[in-house]
Amino acid sequence: MRSSINRPPTPDANEEPEKEPTLQEIINIKLIESGEKEKLMELLRERLIECGWRDEMKAICRAYARKKGRNNVTVDDLIHVVTPKGRASVPDSVKAELLQRIRSFLTSAAI
Amino acid sequence: MSSSFSAVRPLRLPPPCPHLAAYRSGGGTPLRCLHGCLCPRPSGRAEVRRDPGEVPRCASCPPAAARHGPRLYACLSCAAVSCRAHAPDHATLVPGHEIVLDVDRAELFCAACRDQVYDPDFDAAVVIALTSLSSSRLPPRPPEKRAKRRRVEYRSWAPDPNERAVIGQRSSPLIVQEGNASSTTTTTANSTTTTTSTSSPSSSVSSPSSLPWGLRGLNNLGNTCFMNSVLQALLHTPLLRNYFLSDRHSRYVCQQKDKKKGGSKEKSNVAEQKNPAGGSPPCLACDLDAMYSAVFSGDRKPLSPAKFLHSWWQHASNLASYEQQDAHEFFISILDGIHEKEQDQCKPCSNAGNGDCCIAHKVFSGILRSDVTCTICGFTSTTYDPCVDISLDLDSSQDPMKIATSKLQACKSKIESMLTSQCYGISTLRGCLEHFTRPEKLGADQKFFCENCQARQESVKQMSIRKIPLVACFHIKRFEHSLIRNMSRKVDRYLQFPLSLDMAPYLSSSILTARYGNRIFAFDGNDSDEATELASDLELFAVLTHSGNLEAGHYITYLRLNNQWYKCDDAWVTHVSESIVRASQAYMLFYVQKILYYKASQDVG
Repeated sequence: MRSSINRPPTPDANEEPEKEPTLQEIINIKLIESGEKEKLMELLRERLIECGWRDEMKAICRAYARKKGRNNVTVDDLIHVVTPKGRASVPDSVKAELLQRIRSFLTSAAI
Repeated sequence: MSSSFSAVRPLRLPPPCPHLAAYRSGGGTPLRCLHGCLCPRPSGRAEVRRDPGEVPRCASCPPAAARHGPRLYACLSCAAVSCRAHAPDHATLVPGHEIVLDVDRAELFCAACRDQVYDPDFDAAVVIALTSLSSSRLPPRPPEKRAKRRRVEYRSWAPDPNERAVIGQRSSPLIVQEGNASSTTTTTANSTTTTTSTSSPSSSVSSPSSLPWGLRGLNNLGNTCFMNSVLQALLHTPLLRNYFLSDRHSRYVCQQKDKKKGGSKEKSNVAEQKNPAGGSPPCLACDLDAMYSAVFSGDRKPLSPAKFLHSWWQHASNLASYEQQDAHEFFISILDGIHEKEQDQCKPCSNAGNGDCCIAHKVFSGILRSDVTCTICGFTSTTYDPCVDISLDLDSSQDPMKIATSKLQACKSKIESMLTSQCYGISTLRGCLEHFTRPEKLGADQKFFCENCQARQESVKQMSIRKIPLVACFHIKRFEHSLIRNMSRKVDRYLQFPLSLDMAPYLSSSILTARYGNRIFAFDGNDSDEATELASDLELFAVLTHSGNLEAGHYITYLRLNNQWYKCDDAWVTHVSESIVRASQAYMLFYVQKILYYKASQDVG
């Protein structure tokens, strides 16, 4: 896919020299390279299922789809509706655990 | 999702949006060929292939703030990557470029309709990408393809005049013998079980004439309760009972065949070894046939299954003793004995899961699927194994307190209330099945050779049920081996079991759907085999319980006939209430499929 010739015109900004990657980007790249991001995603998935968060979100989506009518709902709609509620209802213990994991990863990766 | 069972349930295929339809009919890359752009993640899910270390970014966002998540979409036509905000712009600016691919989830999205779309060819590509080796790209090997027989509607049968005449001539009515010395009147003398006291209030209904057909006690011939309990369950297994009572395996015909066969064949030597007295070789099916006739004759006197025991000893000579045996082992051994004998009759049986080789397999055999996923590259290796029963571990390993706090937060729907029972430490059959089908990380000492990585890697194994047998026998592993003390002990933990069981969440299709994400592709070799989808409702008809410890104990079978429960304790058969059965310690559970389907006959014409 990368070598397709029908690429959109590259934006002008690319003519400037590459800017320094931000700290956030560096961390992200390190997480992906080491495979840690994958593990964290799986851990997060596991925890959110265990504590019932996913079932709650499913129920909210179902209720919304029922209210709107099955054929009048798009994925975008659902994302808009569910994202704020979802973010707000992640249990603190899950947040804490993941933060702890990221922290220990950072210290071990010695950035 | 509708819950009514119509004769034919169409595959639930959402129609493509106009843009997807246009893409399919246009000259672009066929969706099925996209498997080259996909690769598995270590977790086993699919994602869009990318260079190691490459982080996809939105091409339309200003470079300083180019988004790299959470959802990025790659255009199928031009490979431009956009974030969710910019994807619709790409679709409007460049007509024909509406269909995009979520790079992290490998799911199709229509940027114009702003909704997820589904396509069976694309899902096929996903399966290919996930299950094939990166170098050779072979499609997955499906299980041995049995000749597909289409399902036919049930048509009831009524005898024509000729058949009616035959019925009149060749049959005799069965008479229930009233006032027979029934075993039910002497229950209270039984001292080997602790539930005697509770059976007396219900004995008011156990007069001989009110007991249904086929209930007869079996005498204990010396620690043979293991045999009696399994026999009671088999005698009332609907499909087996119908098979034998309709004379499908007649002991007279079978013996005739054996006499004819007894010649210079090798088999006769084997038969002589087993039967030095020179009679016909033992046929467990014939002995079972004799027992069915005796049990359903209407006679209520307890039966002594001595001939059966003798035949079984000849079959399983290593277990031939008066010592106590394990009922489950006995069960497997009988099925094996029936199968062995049928094999002699030249029926091809290349795949035991097919069930066409003998009645034992036809009734009890199912197919288990085992997926082992490499945690490094995500390549999954699949194997199919036939089974005649499912052995489940008791799922008591979870810390009840930890689950209590987190699950109480989620107590909002009925589904959760089932899970909350685990809060208080009660094991349920569903819990055991969930435990059985959970993804299990294999230890570092059990590294699996990954063909993709060409190295031993840590892996994750997941079991699922590809085909549910017509009669599902669940065996609860109630023994625990302690390495420290180097001894085994029995686990007496109570197990809660339902009367009706829906196996849908444990089928391979459900387990794989959860793993592969939002797909509409049916994953098994026989796609849209409606039999697998609809045949997942089971009803309980027999419960085998064990009391005691590993060395010495007693087996009892509870049978469910016409929604009434009967306790079969060797020679004593009594009517009991459902609550007694529910409170018992289940060791083996027998469930039968609620609805059976007919398949077109293999014989032509």
